[in-house]
Amino acid sequence: MVQSKKTPTLGYICKYVPFEVLKAAGINICRIEPQTADFCKADTLMHANVCSFARAVLEDFADHDYDGMVLTTCCDSARRLFDTLRANWPDRFFYCLDLPHKINDFADTLYAKHIKKMMDAWEAYAAEHGYDTKKIDLDSFVKENMSKPHPADTLLSSEAPDICNTSADSSVSCQTDTISIGLVGARPGDSIRDLILSKGIRIRFDMTCTAVQRDFGVSVPEGDTLNQSDQERFDSCLCAYTHALLNQIPCMRMADASGRQRFLKDMSEQVDGIIYHTIKFCDIYSYEYTQIHKDFDLPILKIETDATAQSSGQILTRLEAFIEALEAKKNVGQNHLGSVTENPPSASETRITNKETSPMIVMGIDSGSTSTNAVLLNEKKEILASAVLRTGAKSGDSADRVRAMVLEKAGLTPEDVSLVVSTGYGRVSIPFADKDVTEISCHAKGAHFLNPEIRTILDIGGQDSKAIHLDENGNVKDFVMNDKCAAGTGRFLEMMARTLEIPIEELGPLSLKSNESLTISSMCTVFAESEVISLIAQNKEPADIAHGIHEAIVSRAMSLIKRVGAEPGFMMTGGVAKNEGVIDVLQKRLGASVWRYEEPEIVGALGAALFGLEG
Amino acid sequence: MNLVETYGNLIKKTAPAHPTAAFRMIKTGLYYERFRTKHLADKNIPGAYRFLNTYAVNYVLQALRTPDKTVWTNIFAPVEILQCFDLRCLSVECLSSFLSGFRIEDYFLDYAEEEGIASTLCSYHKNFIGASDSGVVPPAAFSLTTSTICDGNINTFRYLSENRGVKNYILDIPMDNSEDAITYVIEQLKDLIRVLEETFCKPFSYERLAEVIQRENESKAIYEECLTLLRDKAYPSTLTLQMYMLFATHLNIGEPEILTFFKKMHEELLAAPDFDGINILWVHLLPWYQETLQEYFNLTKDCQIQAIEMNLDYREKLDPKDPLRSLALKMINNAYTRSYDRKVDLVCELADLLEPDGVINFCHWGCKQSSGGVMRLKERMQERDLPLLILDGDGMDRRNSHNGQIRTRWEAFHELLLARKGQ
Repeated sequence: MVQSKKTPTLGYICKYVPFEVLKAAGINICRIEPQTADFCKADTLMHANVCSFARAVLEDFADHDYDGMVLTTCCDSARRLFDTLRANWPDRFFYCLDLPHKINDFADTLYAKHIKKMMDAWEAYAAEHGYDTKKIDLDSFVKENMSKPHPADTLLSSEAPDICNTSADSSVSCQTDTISIGLVGARPGDSIRDLILSKGIRIRFDMTCTAVQRDFGVSVPEGDTLNQSDQERFDSCLCAYTHALLNQIPCMRMADASGRQRFLKDMSEQVDGIIYHTIKFCDIYSYEYTQIHKDFDLPILKIETDATAQSSGQILTRLEAFIEALEAKKNVGQNHLGSVTENPPSASETRITNKETSPMIVMGIDSGSTSTNAVLLNEKKEILASAVLRTGAKSGDSADRVRAMVLEKAGLTPEDVSLVVSTGYGRVSIPFADKDVTEISCHAKGAHFLNPEIRTILDIGGQDSKAIHLDENGNVKDFVMNDKCAAGTGRFLEMMARTLEIPIEELGPLSLKSNESLTISSMCTVFAESEVISLIAQNKEPADIAHGIHEAIVSRAMSLIKRVGAEPGFMMTGGVAKNEGVIDVLQKRLGASVWRYEEPEIVGALGAALFGLEG
Repeated sequence: MNLVETYGNLIKKTAPAHPTAAFRMIKTGLYYERFRTKHLADKNIPGAYRFLNTYAVNYVLQALRTPDKTVWTNIFAPVEILQCFDLRCLSVECLSSFLSGFRIEDYFLDYAEEEGIASTLCSYHKNFIGASDSGVVPPAAFSLTTSTICDGNINTFRYLSENRGVKNYILDIPMDNSEDAITYVIEQLKDLIRVLEETFCKPFSYERLAEVIQRENESKAIYEECLTLLRDKAYPSTLTLQMYMLFATHLNIGEPEILTFFKKMHEELLAAPDFDGINILWVHLLPWYQETLQEYFNLTKDCQIQAIEMNLDYREKLDPKDPLRSLALKMINNAYTRSYDRKVDLVCELADLLEPDGVINFCHWGCKQSSGGVMRLKERMQERDLPLLILDGDGMDRRNSHNGQIRTRWEAFHELLLARKGQ
């Protein structure tokens, strides 16, 4: 005789899974929110190009003691996840509900039948495997899920309350000086939500997968309850429940997703911007992102994750820059950097400044992956000195050295400096900085100061590249950054110069001598390098190869520039701006001239110093 | 730089400022391609393939010339119904391949990505979106897609139709083969017919549909006979011609010309010599432009592709007396619906029929439904001791396929197959 086991635990991922029914049958049903360090198992069992979320769920399933999982046919990756799970854990319970794409009475009936079939399958599995089984408690199911207002009606009202998931504080009242955003797109996981909330941002609504509150209060269907059997009562309740389940705010896989657009339109007045989250290799939300970008006059930040923590640094930079732009637009508080992180002075770095007796001097430090740059400004916004240094293994050490360098150039001491503002990737690792601001805002600030006609900045750094769109006052209107990949960055040029066996400084002048157009077509830096090796093997001229390399990097940069609007008034910043070959190709592709500052690497540090002067 | 590349560069240069002129250049290019395939085709290409090639180029040319009679579709849509309204199907996959043939796919792919469309989306869909959004390809008169097989179908067609003001119809195809599901699809097909009658002011004829289905059955039966012959016979083709087979098995199945094509193919196969090279059963899409694979497969005596499983995703006979039910079953029971194991079963059936020396599965960039199950295919092929090569790349975007990688993998696989044959 088979012994009765503990309460079964089943995982689920899709918001259309009827977990209330499973719960009423005594199953511990648990939403899987994967966060993985790597894809070791998924790499073996699934292809690398399947959605990262599905692959992370596979990792999570392998690491936990689930008795099975209920999925839906919500997307291609979920369908293949189901196949993979079933093949590799044959003794567990897996069920894939066939989720209709259209929402109508027929679809309601079909889906309700699928749910009943699933429960039959569960009962058979549970009996065979000796699990505790329980007949669905109809009274508690009705009590839990019926006779409450229909959530969708509330959601679509123009006076909708906060639709926050459990991690967003819905009790916060709508204060005009707090930045409010809508979170939309593919499911972001708690880490992204927590990151947003930790920045003092209010999530006015959360329309990502599974975030909408499950309040399926629907009216108990009218009927002759006295003469109805329990089964008949359950069937009619299930029909009403299924109707509510399918009539949630639709996800993008549904045939009619216009409910999402209507909801966003209703809510657009109540938020300062949209944070749009997508997952690597989950493509269905990019259509909506494109439409919102086109149709809504709202700042929108797109962040893409892959269910790992690897990209958290880049995400933080994007998020902070977006917040700075929203705050500047909203003009929150006394200055537009109301939420800039104030670093507590450390004991060893407490500075006694003589600012009461001397003119105000501020320092901006841009701690990038390739170079660390510093600028000293006086209160008249005059540049007293600047310095550029290659970043070493520790960004903090490079910051110390560049500070010493720039102070020496200006003949000053640390005590003469009233305020230090840091920016760049290493901005949070500089202990003597008083404030930090993202490099997006700093480049915009610096560029506008140097040339108020600038509207579009291209900054190609060692680790990433970005395009920034400015308004006439120098505020950031929009920005995009490349993905976590070396393609289109300064690192790409460094690798290519190394392959050609020439110093990086010579790549630009060499390419200007090109006579033949060669194409480096690969998207990936590694593949591009092997293309260059092939061209060398074909005895192609180094000048022509160098020109092809610049065409390749500009192609990627053009994509960023176009995505922010490509408004004329172009400027290039960062070390790559010194490369005449890149500038030449870029100007030809834009059909416009590109303005550069004589020291393009210090624009970010200059912007940081300007922020310092503004307080 | 070859002629096509030069012409493609000219189209790309023209497109930003003059999309209509770029479109005219595409049509002109197709006009010359039609002439070339009809009068200047390589004589080593079997007559049936030459016929199909000219037919397909002309079909696409006419679809582009008369957008008021053209319907945007995916390759799984019930084209039989559209034929009864004298409408031409312009499939997302097919037009994208043609644009890639002009070597202008990068312009449209970049255009779509610059708008915000995901870089990881299937390049066939992304290319079509770029072509439409850039204003180069004009809107069609109607748009029809099924929910089956691929996530992109609903989203791409909805996006395209909303942006260009094209009336769109989505057929929601359930995954289970129940009477409820069949009824659900039949009701949608009836509704589709009503919508088409209203849109094109033309009555629908069930008799005509029965004729189309009859021709479809005949075509498929002959193709099955061809497959039996392909086990041993030499029937040279190219990667591109293999892709053109989708016109015969999907987009234009049921047309009289397609029946003619299969009859010609059968006649030629009966007279064809035996083949003693490497026979390959291909799974999923083909990178038609890929230089190494072209070198080995295009009209050579050493290697040949016997069939692509995509062309055989539904092998059942349809019932002309109950056409809507037949079409509903055709979509519900397509080998790609439900579990991936059904597709693996199909590959196994075809392997039994064709007895290939090896199987190649091409993982097309962005196609999760196909790539996602490839490990299952590998396990089953291992059980059968049938060598399988998994290649990663892109069916049409040259930038996503790397020749060095493909050459090493294919040549190693080729050596393995030769060793197994004792050659």
